[in-house]
Formats: sequence, C-alpha cells, structure tokens
Amino acid sequence: MRVMDAKPKLNLPPPFDEAMHRHEREIMRFVLRASGNREDALDLFQETWLRAYRAYGQLDSAEGLRPWLFRIASNLCLNRKRDRARRARVIADTELREEHAGAILPMHESALHLKSMLRRLPNKQRQALVMRKLGGLEYGEIAVALGCSEEAARAGVYLALKKLKAE
Amino acid sequence: MQEKREIYFEDGAEIPDDMIDELLREAHTGLARVLNRIRRPLARIAVIDSSIGDLLAAQSTRGLVALRFMDSEDATLLLAALRRRFDVVEDDAVAVEIGSEIERLMRGDTNAISARAVDLSLVESDFQRRALTRLRRVPAGSVISYRGLAVALGMPSGQRAIGNSVASNPVPIYVPCHRVIRSDGSLGNYGGGPERKLKLLRAEGFGVDSQRRVPPEAVYGHWRSRIFCRPTCSAVRQAERRQWLIFADPERAKRFGMRACKLCHPA
Repeated sequence: MRVMDAKPKLNLPPPFDEAMHRHEREIMRFVLRASGNREDALDLFQETWLRAYRAYGQLDSAEGLRPWLFRIASNLCLNRKRDRARRARVIADTELREEHAGAILPMHESALHLKSMLRRLPNKQRQALVMRKLGGLEYGEIAVALGCSEEAARAGVYLALKKLKAE
Repeated sequence: MQEKREIYFEDGAEIPDDMIDELLREAHTGLARVLNRIRRPLARIAVIDSSIGDLLAAQSTRGLVALRFMDSEDATLLLAALRRRFDVVEDDAVAVEIGSEIERLMRGDTNAISARAVDLSLVESDFQRRALTRLRRVPAGSVISYRGLAVALGMPSGQRAIGNSVASNPVPIYVPCHRVIRSDGSLGNYGGGPERKLKLLRAEGFGVDSQRRVPPEAVYGHWRSRIFCRPTCSAVRQAERRQWLIFADPERAKRFGMRACKLCHPA
C-alpha cells in the first residue's frame, strides 16, 4: 500500500447527527422567532430535521450544509404561515355556511363544533376535505394542490369525513 | 382545544439560552423516535490510492458494497446511489483495509480478496444478483466468456443480459467481472479500462498472448463434470468451447479440483 499523502477529497457533508448537533440551536432560534410560539416551533424544528434527513443524500458539499438547512426551515415556516391564513379563511367560510343551516342547528354551537373538529384533523386530510366540500375542487386538482396522488386526495377526504362522522 | 402559550419576540430581542435548551430537550425525545424508524444503514467510505488507480470504496455492515475507479464516468453516480441508500461516513480505515487487500492481489496473492463479504444491496435486479453471485465462483487464474456465464445461469442466449449485468457490477475486483472475456478469446472491455483488466488478470496468473487473446497453453475446464481439456479436444468441440471455464494452465485447473481429460491428456 502506498503512502496516503493527501486526504480523500470527497468533501461530503458531515454525518447527519454531527450536522444536527452543530446547527440545532440556531435552527431552533430561527423557527421560534419565525413562528412566535413554542408548539409551532417544536413542530417546525422536528419537521425541518426530518426533511433534512430524508434529503441528506442529495446535499453534495460540506459548505452547503448550513444554508441548505435554513432553506428547509424557512420554507416550512412560510408554508405554515400560508396554511394558517388559508385555514382562517376556510373557518370564516364555514361559519357563514352554517348560518344558512341555522334553522336545523343553533348556529354558534355547530360552527364552533365543526371548527374544533376540523382543527383536530391531520393537515392533509383537513385540506383535502375543505377543498373538496367547501372549495368544490376535483380530486385531480386537490392532488396537484397538495402534491400527492389523486388516490391519496380521495383517501384524505374519505378519512376526514369518516372521522367527522364518528364524532 | 388546548390554548397555545404565545411567546412574542420584538425584533432583535434575545431569546434566552435556557429556553432554547428546554425546547431542544423536548423536541429531541419525539424526533429521535421518528428518526430511528427511518434511519438508513451505515456505510463507511474512502478513496483508496492504489497501484491500479484511485478507487472509491464503501463498506456496509454486511460487506463491501461498492468499489469504483475514480476516473470512471459513473463514479459520481455510484456515490449518489450509495448516499440514497446509506448513511455515508468517510473513514480512512476502509482505505487501509481494502487498499492493502488489493495491493496483495496485485502482487499475486489470489487469496487476498476472497475472505471479504460482498454486499450486493446496490444491485437492482434479481437476475443481476444471480449473475454476480455466480461470477464470484469463477476462480482467480481462470476466465469465462459472457456466453459461458449465461449458460451457467441456465439461459444460453442471455449473453447480452450478462454483459449488462457484469458491466454495472457495483463491486468490481471482488466480484471478478475482469474474469469475463469475449467468446472469441479476446479480452473485451472493462469498466476501469482494458489496461486494468489486463493488469488484474496478469496479477492473478492469467497471462494473455501478444494479441491479448487467450494463450495457446490454456485449458478448458467443464464446470459440471470437473474435467479439463486441451482446446483442440473433441470433447470441447462437441460441448462448444464457449461454455467452458478457461484456465491459464493445467496446474490452476487442478488446483480448482478438476482432473485431466483422458482423451486429450492436457496435463
């Protein structure tokens, strides 16, 4: 074996756990500042690292690590804000529609109930249900909006309805 | 619905360290559980500076999973495939271990590489896995034709498929794709270039003649019957010589546990 004169120049990012150890504090600070509350911050923090882990093999240089992590975190924060805004609109819509149906149920109670039930649904299912039943979208369109397959969109609506009916 | 505890920060206001610490502790309990569920297996990788060129090597917990000459076109593709499948860590110990085995092989110690397990998890198809597993049984000092390997796998007209399987071998040298030659007796191509194929074969004791073809003193061993013959033997002609294992000389065929043909007396 010849003498190894130079270290291999693969320039790979560090092992994932080391990357996490190095950058977790600043990522936590970032998501906490962006979201302004601890539940969201915890969520965003975990989601950031899960996504980073899944895509870690595609990151091809050690220097790119930090900006890459921040891009994931900030994209997630933006998505979350957008979802919040959308959800607020949907809930307002829901309340309006419930007013029409007020003859059957006392309005405030049913609206509040639906609102809280909707909130408890997983994100994908809630979005799918809202788009289908309140937005009147086709399953194909929902699939595109949520970035999933048409079958998954269909299943999301079905599962959401099932859960709502069960309550 | 649980009320959220809101924390608001003015622009530039400090977030206290102990709050970050507490959040990190809380985040890690759940995160560790989910991460452990989706963890990829570990592979240690290194670049070996060997006498036949720089090699990228990857060792998983099950064995050598990838080996590639750094100057070959698909070295980066292979690295990408590795990183999709494995959590990759650079480890110079791999370069030392594998590198010393390859150097021993290049000095003629054909046992140097036989003890190491090979992990074929980068192989996509069952057929390729079968072909490569079978190829591992072709001993050092002998070669086989693409056609011969196809016959050994029970598909006599599958030499093209074998060619593709062998060409995309993720673990060359250890899965000896350099021991596969063309049916006409010429060396054929090699992922690391024909020069390296020649060097590897020579190191293993399989010399070729000046035209880079199977030498005249080579003998043809029949895999099943364990009998070896001269190329001119009628038995070889009958069974088609393309289907046989070719040994550099009678000695090596004997060492592989074969006996000489009683018709042509090759030994």
